[in-house]
Amino acid sequence: MPKLDITVEVCGMAGDGTIAAGGLINEGMSRGGLSVLAFDSYPAEIRGFGRCVTRSRIGHERRTALEEHTHVLISLNDEQSLSRVPFLTEHSAVFFDNQPPTLVPEESSLAAHVEPATALFGMPFTDLAAQAAGSDRGRNLVALGGFAAVFQVPSELFEPAIVKKFKSKGQKVVESNVRCFQAGVAYALERFSERLWDPVSFPPPKEGPEIVMLSGNTAIAEGALDAGLHLYFGYPITPATPIMEYLAKRLPERGGRLMQMEDEIASIGGVLGGFFAGKRSMTATSGPGFALMTELITHGVMSETPAVIINAQRGGPATGLPTKTEQSDLHAAVFGGPGDSARIVIAPTDVPECYHLTIKSFQLAEKYQIPVIVLTDFFLDNRVESVPLPVAEDDARKDMTVYPDPDAKERYRRFKITESGISPRALPGMEGYIFAATGLEHTEKGLPDYTPENHSKMTEKRYRKLRSALEDLPSPVEHTPRGRVDLGVIGWGSNFGSVHEAVNRACERGLKVGALKLTAIYPYHEDAIRDFMSRCDEILIAELNFEGQLANLVGHLHRKEVLRLNRVTGLPMPPSVIYKKILEILGETDS
Amino acid sequence: MKKVRAMHDEHFVIIGNGPAGNQAALTLRQKVPEARITMISAEHERFYRPHLLPDFVAGTIPENEVYAAALEHYRTHRIKLRLGQRVVAVDFSKRNLLLEHKETVRFSGLILAVGGKPRIPEPLLVFRDLLLTFKTFSDARKWIERLHRVDSVLIVGGDLTSLAVTKALLRLGKEVRFVLNEDAFRPVRCKPEVFQEAAHRLSLQGVKVLEGRKLRSVTRINEDLFEVTADRERFRVGLVGAFFGLVPHVRFLARSGLTIERGVLVDETLNTGFEGVYAAGDCAQVYHTHIRDYWVSIGHDNAVSLGRIAALNLLGEKMKAEPKGETILCDDVRVNTSWWRDF
Amino acid sequence: MKTPGPVLAEQVKRIEDSELFSFRSGRLPIWCPGCGYFGIHAGINAALKQLGIPHHKVVVVSGIGCAGRYPFFSNTYGLHTTHGRSLPVATGVKFANPELTVLAVGGDGDGLGIGGGHLPHASRKDINISYVLFDNSIYGLTKGQPSPSSPAGFKTKVSPSGTVERPLNATLMALSYGASFVARLFAGEPRLIGEILAKGIRHPGFSFLHVYTSCVTFDKQYKTWDHLKEWVHPIPEGHNPSDFRAAMDLVLDDDFATGLIYQRGK
Repeated sequence: MPKLDITVEVCGMAGDGTIAAGGLINEGMSRGGLSVLAFDSYPAEIRGFGRCVTRSRIGHERRTALEEHTHVLISLNDEQSLSRVPFLTEHSAVFFDNQPPTLVPEESSLAAHVEPATALFGMPFTDLAAQAAGSDRGRNLVALGGFAAVFQVPSELFEPAIVKKFKSKGQKVVESNVRCFQAGVAYALERFSERLWDPVSFPPPKEGPEIVMLSGNTAIAEGALDAGLHLYFGYPITPATPIMEYLAKRLPERGGRLMQMEDEIASIGGVLGGFFAGKRSMTATSGPGFALMTELITHGVMSETPAVIINAQRGGPATGLPTKTEQSDLHAAVFGGPGDSARIVIAPTDVPECYHLTIKSFQLAEKYQIPVIVLTDFFLDNRVESVPLPVAEDDARKDMTVYPDPDAKERYRRFKITESGISPRALPGMEGYIFAATGLEHTEKGLPDYTPENHSKMTEKRYRKLRSALEDLPSPVEHTPRGRVDLGVIGWGSNFGSVHEAVNRACERGLKVGALKLTAIYPYHEDAIRDFMSRCDEILIAELNFEGQLANLVGHLHRKEVLRLNRVTGLPMPPSVIYKKILEILGETDS
Repeated sequence: MKKVRAMHDEHFVIIGNGPAGNQAALTLRQKVPEARITMISAEHERFYRPHLLPDFVAGTIPENEVYAAALEHYRTHRIKLRLGQRVVAVDFSKRNLLLEHKETVRFSGLILAVGGKPRIPEPLLVFRDLLLTFKTFSDARKWIERLHRVDSVLIVGGDLTSLAVTKALLRLGKEVRFVLNEDAFRPVRCKPEVFQEAAHRLSLQGVKVLEGRKLRSVTRINEDLFEVTADRERFRVGLVGAFFGLVPHVRFLARSGLTIERGVLVDETLNTGFEGVYAAGDCAQVYHTHIRDYWVSIGHDNAVSLGRIAALNLLGEKMKAEPKGETILCDDVRVNTSWWRDF
Repeated sequence: MKTPGPVLAEQVKRIEDSELFSFRSGRLPIWCPGCGYFGIHAGINAALKQLGIPHHKVVVVSGIGCAGRYPFFSNTYGLHTTHGRSLPVATGVKFANPELTVLAVGGDGDGLGIGGGHLPHASRKDINISYVLFDNSIYGLTKGQPSPSSPAGFKTKVSPSGTVERPLNATLMALSYGASFVARLFAGEPRLIGEILAKGIRHPGFSFLHVYTSCVTFDKQYKTWDHLKEWVHPIPEGHNPSDFRAAMDLVLDDDFATGLIYQRGK
């Protein structure tokens, strides 16, 4: 039985229930035990019209990347769906309303644009919805029913999902929606009985943790909550706003406090103040907001105050492309701001890592008394993956602060130079350790000092702290066949998913290719990376930015120039693009 | 030498995906590299050779060999192929056609190549749901599925296809009964001797021929068992097939203004009477000046020839359609299919 | 500087020995002798002493400028942040540990220029901290540029023909931003500062103390000690601090009345 791997899209106009239909597909298929990775796109502007597309990659194997092509298109608005037709695979299926309210000229017709091998399933969505529910509102559910029937997906997977989704709207709405779904199923079974697809093969049910559909943003918020987040200060910005919205409800429930501030500078200010006084605090922003925060972030580095900042990257520069994905803030995250102010930067690659690395960021910030930046991107933040409900590590809430010795009181030096670089930290309220933290260069006692030797020593101490942090940072992970390889591909953030899939494909073909995942962007594990590189002839670094920012950072570790695959389309990098590049580098041809 | 019209915004539409339609499309493309050409077919199947279906049922040729062209062919020749989409009306004055899903398509030239569908004679219409016909790929697959479960078959009628199917059934080791009807060799009317010869030959092959008998009743016992009364004989079979020739598939044109009898009436250049609208293949009834009457084409070669002529004439030529005189060899049974007088 | 060295040293020693500065670190601040900040510091100390708040329970959050150096001089926890950002940082400290007494301090440039965007929100959100604005109408640390509260016609190296802009009125701003406790004070009256600040710290909300002071080194034309002593006078007897309109009228008419101008709900 070949492994199932299909991408299903629902495309419509805002108001067609596109997103709801996509969500039900995700929920239903996930209930059946299949892995789901879904990424929706919304109209860019807030007003009510514009194209909505949901894309769900469904199959037996867990996926962390999306390809460009689509196998099934459910069109709730043909005019919008026309733009999706070029991405249909050869043997695709298209569901559309075959009784539109008015006649449709050839140039606007979906049926006129598809390839002959595409199976068309025309159903009167509107009429069936009207019959089943009295209005055309359930059109999307009729379409869903058609899809379920043709792909022979048991109704038991979708109907409970429909009930769950519309429960809050009342029993009548639930029943009417279920009727619409069933009407779609009945029509399709009858009309398309000779053209049904091979049934989707669902794996046998197995015991295990509950599977949930979780987005990157939600995972970050949940990770923060489970790490004992106490204060959140934030400012609305796409794509980080959902984190603030999620926490606004739940943080107070857990005894914490959330406040929307007047700008991003106030947000990071609040976070630093909160952590200074000993409470786990966080803010989430995107490129433009992050830029505003950089001065205070360097203050955190200089004054050795912890902070956790989520930078949900989007298209840049400046206001850039608010609803598109990119990985172009690496430089800013690592180096942004005045002076030698490098700080910890980590980058999750999938939804579970969003959860766990957020927890880790608090532990690192607290222990190493430094701002920790978690780099995500629009794709990772907004996509949903079907994952086991994440469980916090035992020490998620553990206080990692290195406190001063009780008998160090009178002679307490807040910025004492130590071997690890970590100086024991007293918190305001603790008697006997009074000190002032400053953004000026300072002595061990914390008083402003600009003398040459002091500045050298203190700078060195702060960097030593970073090196010490390496042992607590997640190491690079290799996915490499044994021995030497012809090509090693490095990826970070959500793009590693595409790298991994492309490299797997190359290995299946018998090519000697390896992959390396970096989640610790700064400091990075020089030795491990060098070791990987030494076993590769060529190194390719694939990322969604123009220059190759990770390549700029670690490329020098390779004995020759690293190759770069850079893309700034605003869309995730399809694995096939990386795969083609791999072939090109190795001098192979696409078979 | 006729000059080919300059075409750039032209849109030539061909309804039908059989031999006539495909030849028409190819001819148009060869003559006019620039024009937009669309083929629309109600069937979901790509171009296949219907006369190979009996061999497919017999298992002597694999499925992929029944097909006549790969989709690549249409891409190469830039012919837009629209499968599984049904034309429900044509407006010749506005020069557009309406598809079942409420789409309108404008055309500057139209070729009707919709072929025929199996005919069920009036007396048997009441049993229609119990009878299997044999025309399309889909039909052939149904036969294969049913034949896995039954051992005996009754063939009623006796057109050319029935003979080929009988051959296939015998190859599969099925028990075959045959109710030969006199007018069942339609569209060919044979001399009685030929008719008897056919019956004789069939019997020699092991077929039980109920000559001249009429089918009185068919009753379904279960999905794979039918009780049949033919004249005074009653027996049971697993499957009943009806083979009464084809009628042109032109019901959707009923209100279009075209003259339709048995098929679409066209002059000897295959023109329907409307400018830029031609018919070719099994669906056309072609006027012949010599006999001063209409003839209907049957067979693959005729369809291809008419398809080509219709295309050329659409482009401004004035070729006359001539039926091809052929002899079909069917297990020692010769049938002359050259032009004939109907009705 | 005109004052001779030994005299300065003597002045500094007297300050060092004075009881007024118990809330101070071992180091002296960088303020020039004669700077009004010493007076403000005395007032702040008096308030903390009066309320009996232990040193280690106080956090002073400062911005950038001469006023920003305050935490190094005060014997409390301190957080010397970036220019203009003391209010949001102080907010974070207070939210994290409401038991702490949190003071935000900074100058007029820090609070009305770059930090001007934070005052409205700390005020309208009524954050329970006390903000002391050391207003000497000049940028002292960077050696004498005009500030948002410098008067029109103020001559500096950066504005040789005199500034053209009109000054901001910090007391008026705080009132119109909805601050629930607004006072205007004078560095030459440390006792009054102590009294009002004690009230402000006890006030369950945002307390704003606008303190006039003099930069002896760079301002020889506007807020000199002589001028300030001449202009500053107490708020009239009958003024009702809980009357918002009266407070607004007072501030619109009178730039130099000192005392408690407004306290909501009192």
